[in-house]
Amino acid sequence: MALRLAARRMALAPAPFTRTFNRAMATTVEHTKEPLSAISEATSASQPPIPPSKTTTIQEPEQEANAKTKTFHIYRWNPDQPSDKPKMQSYTLDLNKTGPMMLDALIRIKNEVDPTLTFRRSCREGICGSCAMNIDGVNTLACLCRIPTDTAKESRIYPLPHTYVVKDLVPDLTQFYKQYKSIKPYLQRDTPPPDGREYRQSRDDRRKLDGLYECILCACCSTSCPSYWWNAEEYLGPAVLLQSYRWIADSRDEKTADRKEALNNSMTLYRCHTILNCSRTCPKGLNPALAIAEIKKSLAFA
Amino acid sequence: MYIAANDATQSMAENDAGTGILAKQRLARPVSPHLSIYRPQITWYGSIINRITGSLMSGAFYLFGAAYLVAPVMGWHLESAVLAASFATWPVILQFLTKTVFAWQFTYHTFNGVRHLVWDTASAISNKAVNQSGWFVVGLSTVSAVALALL
Amino acid sequence: MASALRPNMLRQAFASPSARLISSTLPAFQPQQRFLLQRTPLALQQATFQTSAKRELLPPLPQRLQGTVNDAQILGEPNALHGNYHWTFERGLSAALLPISLAPFAAGSLSPVLDGAFIGMIIIHTYIGFSSIISDYLPSRRVPFWRKLFDYGNMLAVFVVGWGWYEFETNDVGLTEGLKRVWKAGSSTVPAS
Repeated sequence: MALRLAARRMALAPAPFTRTFNRAMATTVEHTKEPLSAISEATSASQPPIPPSKTTTIQEPEQEANAKTKTFHIYRWNPDQPSDKPKMQSYTLDLNKTGPMMLDALIRIKNEVDPTLTFRRSCREGICGSCAMNIDGVNTLACLCRIPTDTAKESRIYPLPHTYVVKDLVPDLTQFYKQYKSIKPYLQRDTPPPDGREYRQSRDDRRKLDGLYECILCACCSTSCPSYWWNAEEYLGPAVLLQSYRWIADSRDEKTADRKEALNNSMTLYRCHTILNCSRTCPKGLNPALAIAEIKKSLAFA
Repeated sequence: MYIAANDATQSMAENDAGTGILAKQRLARPVSPHLSIYRPQITWYGSIINRITGSLMSGAFYLFGAAYLVAPVMGWHLESAVLAASFATWPVILQFLTKTVFAWQFTYHTFNGVRHLVWDTASAISNKAVNQSGWFVVGLSTVSAVALALL
Repeated sequence: MASALRPNMLRQAFASPSARLISSTLPAFQPQQRFLLQRTPLALQQATFQTSAKRELLPPLPQRLQGTVNDAQILGEPNALHGNYHWTFERGLSAALLPISLAPFAAGSLSPVLDGAFIGMIIIHTYIGFSSIISDYLPSRRVPFWRKLFDYGNMLAVFVVGWGWYEFETNDVGLTEGLKRVWKAGSSTVPAS
């Protein structure tokens, strides 16, 4: 499951890289301390990238007279030079020749300006969740985010906050998928359907799943949560908890008590301090904070 | 040996090699920037201010409690009468500012605490309600803090 | 078996002209690693002094995973005492703090019993708040020693501070009355504003 999801998100990596990486994805990880880790102790701190003022600017290829030139600063880091610091690379684009969305700008940069820029994208219509990134300080899907037409303002694009960066704007979401798997995101039942055909549900029960089933697991909300930044190893984060509630709230599921019990400790669920960045940032307009509040409420006197 | 190897064993072997590379790559990965680049919003700023105000008040409460305990040994005078007398000698503006700061911590933490208790009943959690209540609490706590400071 | 097959893979890797592929295969990684280590004194110093040492209080550890990518994350053991009971108790306590902290504004100050209860509740509320901060920012997997130290310190502080305030309650005028006294002392002349 997780592998399938992960593989789907490897979209834009060049072919040889994808091959190596996918193969490696499906393997056991060694826990021995490698010599390289001496270096990585220093580099894997969440260091501020080299600011755009200290890097070059790559210009729009063809300058025109009435161009609407906008500057984009984009986070870059290349795994092939692991000791180099991440940097902010600046690009200028003529908005007249660029589509309306941030993803259009990124694709245009990759096609016409700098083919080394790496990011994930697939559906370009907000249903796959691949192009989740931090744009102008807020996590969103690049394909649903309009480029602000004010050319005086410069846009900044970072990978999802506090994630391990695979390359440029591509974060490693392995931990996120492992957490999703841990909540058993499938219907659990022991009894067969009464009519032997399908598990029926009243309209009201079905309505309880609205606002939950639409989640596309883009990880925007989880990576906007400061609590998840500090404790992603143990705290499930808003997206996975919303998914968990999607199964808790499902009238057809018979393991509701087990599901709630599995969340019941100080870290897994209760690292949520109702900061509410999650609901604020959700590009699909869902409300993970409300789902978590419902879980807590249902556990309150359990 | 090579002939005997079927597809499954071959991919296992490749996996072994790939593991080491990926594990090494993981160790070298930077963490993307977070606090420094996330846009200031009433949600998380309100939340961290709640934590800071609580910690400052609790810190002061703890410091005074511990200091009062050792005061006789250290020769400090922390009796309320002494404190009141020394506070009375401060310049008026400094008194007012000190009281406003302390009162604001109290009012903000209290009103925001009410907000949290409301959220814990799974109500008023929508982007609009959170935004409005957030700024309302900031305003209310500021006004009431100034009013308290003037007491 | 594995080592017998590896050279095959290597040949494939070296046959590829792509620099990216070479750097991410195993033996090619080692020269690079040596190269890094030779250069590290400077690189390490810069990394340390420019970033982690100055800007980061608790830099995250290098990425490691539990098990394979296809294993589910192992969740913490269910523990109601640190889970829902704790949460409900904390909400109840916070809710109870509201009337008792607002009562002095109506009544002037609290009776010694209520005053003592108020102090006790503040201390427990603080203990819970501080332990929440500790488990947020000082995870055992990152800083086991400091985590332990702060956990014990937090526990110890409850008793030290509790004793200190007990002394204050018994020898002085009490929390609410004391606060009022100092507060009033600062309003002998109300500022013009």
